[in-house]
Amino acid sequence: MTLQTADLGVPGAFTAPGTRRSIGLFVALAALVALLMLSLIIGSKMMPPAVVWDALFHPSGDFDHFAIRDFRLPRTIVGLVVGMALGVSGALIQALTRNPLAGPGILGVNAGASFAVTVAIGLLGVRDVRGYMWFAFAGALVVTIMVLLLGSTRRGQSPVVMVLAGVCVGAVLGGAGSALQLINPDAFDQMRSWGAGSILGRPLDVVWPILPFFAGALVLAFAVSGPLNAMALGDELAVAQGVSLVRTRILAIIALTLLAGGATAIAGPIGFVGLMVPHVARWIVGPDQRWIFAYSMLLAPSLLLASDILGRIVMHPSEIPVGIVTAFVGAPVLILLVRRRKVSGL
Amino acid sequence: MTVTNLNPRLISTLALAAALLGAALMLAACSDGDDTPTATGTPAVTGTSTTASPSPTAESGTRQVEADNGTIEVPANPQRVAAIGNASLPFIDLGGEPVGVTEMRASTLALLPEEQKGTFEAAMNLGPSGGEVDLEKLASLEPDLILAQLPTSDFELIKEQLESIAPTVFFGLGTEWKTLADGLAAAGNLTDGLSEQKAEFEAHVATIQETYREIIDDTTFVMLDRYASSDPATFVITHIGCIEIAQDDIGLNLPEHAEGNNGEVQSFEQIGELSRYDVILYPVNAQGQATEPFAPVVETNAWQALPAVTSGHALGVFCPGNNSYGSVLRYLDSLDQALATLPSDE
Repeated sequence: MTLQTADLGVPGAFTAPGTRRSIGLFVALAALVALLMLSLIIGSKMMPPAVVWDALFHPSGDFDHFAIRDFRLPRTIVGLVVGMALGVSGALIQALTRNPLAGPGILGVNAGASFAVTVAIGLLGVRDVRGYMWFAFAGALVVTIMVLLLGSTRRGQSPVVMVLAGVCVGAVLGGAGSALQLINPDAFDQMRSWGAGSILGRPLDVVWPILPFFAGALVLAFAVSGPLNAMALGDELAVAQGVSLVRTRILAIIALTLLAGGATAIAGPIGFVGLMVPHVARWIVGPDQRWIFAYSMLLAPSLLLASDILGRIVMHPSEIPVGIVTAFVGAPVLILLVRRRKVSGL
Repeated sequence: MTVTNLNPRLISTLALAAALLGAALMLAACSDGDDTPTATGTPAVTGTSTTASPSPTAESGTRQVEADNGTIEVPANPQRVAAIGNASLPFIDLGGEPVGVTEMRASTLALLPEEQKGTFEAAMNLGPSGGEVDLEKLASLEPDLILAQLPTSDFELIKEQLESIAPTVFFGLGTEWKTLADGLAAAGNLTDGLSEQKAEFEAHVATIQETYREIIDDTTFVMLDRYASSDPATFVITHIGCIEIAQDDIGLNLPEHAEGNNGEVQSFEQIGELSRYDVILYPVNAQGQATEPFAPVVETNAWQALPAVTSGHALGVFCPGNNSYGSVLRYLDSLDQALATLPSDE
């Protein structure tokens, strides 16, 4: 797949010089901090900031303090980490496939994770998220490697063939997973909340073991951002600039699989965040992957936390899982993005 | 080949064979007066006498049973009963031995006494649910009675087919468990066993009311639950299930609720609000440990700080089911033991 010259000429509606990008980044950071605070304040009942402060720094046996420290704080941290992972993995897959409408799930990451969780719950009797998150992680990795192998031709890895392989493997695993769930309704019940995609009720001890993988993946992502910029000009030009296409693609796939697989393992499949955010980031900062990654790291958790907060409010006292809110928000945004494709295309 | 070419000896042989076949068919037709279902599954019992026949295999008389699908004429002593949907376990609890049942969840079967589980497993599997019963398999069993409890909308779709196979006694899902037991016992000719169970139930209720009169009068209770399908970090203040027996028959002082309100979903953040109740009832398994779905609740710091928990007023109660006297009696045993642990000043 080669890049259209017209797209190169229109990298972004608001392509900004370095200073403006830096200011934008600071604004995105401030928005994220504000949302982090709101996530601690808003819940089954509103907590005054003073109570939140006391709960974090002078905890007591007060039930409000338990609510903040034991439930809202882990939920907020999970939202932050999962959002960052989804955002950067989405940016990677869009850069890798040169498809601005690609999402992390397109290589079968979600399908692999979901199938592995179904097997863990339905066949092996694993009931706790601390247990089946590893199956999800392993399932995402195995399926991505499978897709990578299926998508390899004699001439190397073809993004188009890889995407097709991902869709096919995802369809097969989706069918197999559905069959397992139909055979075992108890497993289906267990799967329901994980499958909806939620950051609610995930203890922090499911996050800590995944963090080193995320850290390594982020380093890899920024390491390949330069070669990915070169590849955006076309394979021939990239090779002429000394970029190893195979190495870049493999490293990018490893990074995005660790990020998307880890995020899915923790929170379940959450759609649209990894698709929308890099797209919006590209629209703001242009085609430079380093800036896209940086913006995605801040905007994606902001979107996830905002959606989660919205899910707590709209049906209060009940809640809507964040995966459903992002789908509601994502569908119209996706339509908008498709219509503006030339503006924010790669 | 034409008839004119046939050997006369062959013609006479064919004529003899035809005569023999005709005679056999006539004999078969004449013998259709017994109560064996015909090949099309039409029940052959047509009499209305309620006098029991001494026949060990079938009954010549019939009785009338009131059910949600009207007044049904059933065999006085049915021998081959198919119990589909939720009718199977209450029928087995009454001492019935169905020839066919539809599937129940493994988690439900795990709560049955071994003997009843064996009876259930010995019956032919007729399909995944009452609404998805395999009618061909059902007809092949030649049942003389079908007992069904399933959603009315599902029943309406298969009503005619079921009734063409055997007299069908149907109860909707809203049928109160005592009414269901009465109906199933009447239809299945198991009223002796039912009377014993009723007497035991009434005696047990009276004993609990007498023993814990002061506690019942002066204590506020709340019943909590959590299911495999519950959203993460949520539990339910439940108004249905075994707690209906505690409220309606025993008279425990439980939170008031509107008709049709099955329970209120609460976030773990709201655990502290349970402080307002004197005694908290929560679900445990047969071994007395919090059920698997409920375990995350008791692990929280907020739960462990509740006054009811720290003072020993959080009581685990085992509910093996609330749709038959046998399971309800086991529930009453558990409730009795739980109430006995309360300090005497309650």
